[in-house]
Amino acid sequence: MGVKRHLRYIILLSSPITITLVIFLSILSGSTVIHPADVIEAFLSFDSDNVTHTIIMTSRMPRAVGAMLIGALLAMSGALMQGMTRNYLASPSIMGVSDGAAFAITLSVIFLPALTSLQMVMLSLVGSALGTGVVFGIASLVRNGLSPVKMAIIGTIIGTFFSSISAALATYFQVSQTMSFWYNARIHQMSPDLLWFTIPFAVAGILLALALANSVTILSLGDETAVGLGQRKGLIKALTMLSVVIMTGISVALIGKVGFVGLIIPHITRFFTGTDYRWVIPCSAVIGGIFLTLSDSLSLYINYPFETPIGVVTAMIGVPFFLYLIKTRGVGSHR
Amino acid sequence: MLVGGIGLIVFFYISLSVGIYDVSLQQLIDAFLRRNVSENIDLVIFHFRLPRVILAGLIGLGLGIAGGVLQGITKNGLADPGILGINSGAGAAIVVFMFFFQGYVSSTSWLFTLTMPIYGLVGGLAAALIIYLISWEQGRLDPQRLLLTGIAAGAGFGAFTIFLSLKMKAQDFEMATVWLSGSIYSANWMFVLAVIPWFLICVPVIMRRTYMLDLFRMSEESLISIGVSVEKEKSILLLSSIGLISACVSVAGSISFVGLMAPHMARLIVGNEHKNIMPVCGLIGMLLVIGSDFIARTVVAPAEIPVGIVIAIIGVPYFVYLLFKVRM
Repeated sequence: MGVKRHLRYIILLSSPITITLVIFLSILSGSTVIHPADVIEAFLSFDSDNVTHTIIMTSRMPRAVGAMLIGALLAMSGALMQGMTRNYLASPSIMGVSDGAAFAITLSVIFLPALTSLQMVMLSLVGSALGTGVVFGIASLVRNGLSPVKMAIIGTIIGTFFSSISAALATYFQVSQTMSFWYNARIHQMSPDLLWFTIPFAVAGILLALALANSVTILSLGDETAVGLGQRKGLIKALTMLSVVIMTGISVALIGKVGFVGLIIPHITRFFTGTDYRWVIPCSAVIGGIFLTLSDSLSLYINYPFETPIGVVTAMIGVPFFLYLIKTRGVGSHR
Repeated sequence: MLVGGIGLIVFFYISLSVGIYDVSLQQLIDAFLRRNVSENIDLVIFHFRLPRVILAGLIGLGLGIAGGVLQGITKNGLADPGILGINSGAGAAIVVFMFFFQGYVSSTSWLFTLTMPIYGLVGGLAAALIIYLISWEQGRLDPQRLLLTGIAAGAGFGAFTIFLSLKMKAQDFEMATVWLSGSIYSANWMFVLAVIPWFLICVPVIMRRTYMLDLFRMSEESLISIGVSVEKEKSILLLSSIGLISACVSVAGSISFVGLMAPHMARLIVGNEHKNIMPVCGLIGMLLVIGSDFIARTVVAPAEIPVGIVIAIIGVPYFVYLLFKVRM
């Protein structure tokens, strides 16, 4: 415990430096070679006639910051869900959140093609609320539905349902290719405007998550303890889901479906920090952001000169880890 | 059985006769008896619809039976080739095959068509092996782990498949994606011929062992004490069903839910003896896939929805119903 207490501080205190370094590294990655000195110059004295500066500020920079933000949001969502349901497999991609969001986007591309990116982001939020609502609703109605295995299966199946309907609609209205780009290849076209717009939402989601951290720790101790300590369980759970919906909804709207970040990062974080969610949630954000930014840089080089969808990269890292979890921890609860 | 048989004939007839080009019963009978031969009707019936209906039927049969075997072996009512990741394994192997031989192969080449199921089998086996190794603990197969591992392995193979298919040329990519989402769009007689040997080998092997699936409900100890070589029998059954699944995936891509739904429906109709369950499983599978394929190609005609998607849309509500109704 002593070591873990130190690690908590180390992770949080060093985060400004590590985050800056990782973003810097990410800005340097890409098919156009950029000199580190140019990056610093672009920040200190931006020159709009300089092509390199423009690339850095309008393309590389939003992408790196976006990846950092989304990694943090997904990891925090995962941590909240795992703590709340006491289910070590709970995560945004398993709960059908992303599929719900993607479903809403498909509908909007087909029926409301004139929507701005901004409105699409809003719809994506509605969609992720829908996905979460259906999966969570069924899971809590079915006997033992919140257990890891049942929930994973329900989430997978409902996710398949949403994505099947999306695929069928997309095929019928011949927007398959547009949709495929939406899901798989969004991160390289992250626009600064969109990023700015989502920040208030992200901040709201993050503040809510941090405010709930203590309550989630109590929830993670079990229902009896929570009731014994006089916690208003229903309210806390509803607020937690709200926070998850906001954070994941934004993520899907910005880069599409990225699995496994919300699943594995909280585990890694708990390994460092212990199970107090007041620490798990902020540390997850730091580690998740760094993880996704590095995965994004990696995605540029795996299949050089072509980009690999970032979801593929996270799955390639995430699947072996997931299997390892099943092998070593079995299928019990999340501790 | 009888009702199912009649249902099958009705579905068969509807699938053959209804479409953009409607064919009357009289014309259909004429075509089969070779009276008043018409080139147009022959083309529609024998070249397009008949191989497709037969292929759909075979796929339904294979997936239904394989699902029944998997649920019997794992003693878990949620087991399905799709959920267990065997589909994705077979699919990934076939995409690897398409990737390395792109340009050399076309869907009309014999060698390509006949070897696809073999690649599928290799992939399906690899997936099954991984899943088996990870869920194997202390000398027994843990059904819960089996499902979770299957979901994870499926996601992994899926990611790998996306990765490879993105490296393909645009045209091959299109072919791979359409095929992966589960479609019988390009059915022809060659595909039918390519999968038939697998059915001729695997189906009888499974049918002769249906009594084993009943025995598996007993505890392992009592099985061993009455002299059943449990692991050997399990492996034979598992191998045969993977053979069937791989053959189906190689011609139609990944079709989920058939293997999940058919055994449950079969149990509802004929009770708990696998001797009765398995044939009914196959029959229900055939009805499901032929029916869904019909919907897939007529609802949005002249466009098509991949049949796998139609089945998922039908299958999910049924699955949710199962979750509420059945103890699993």
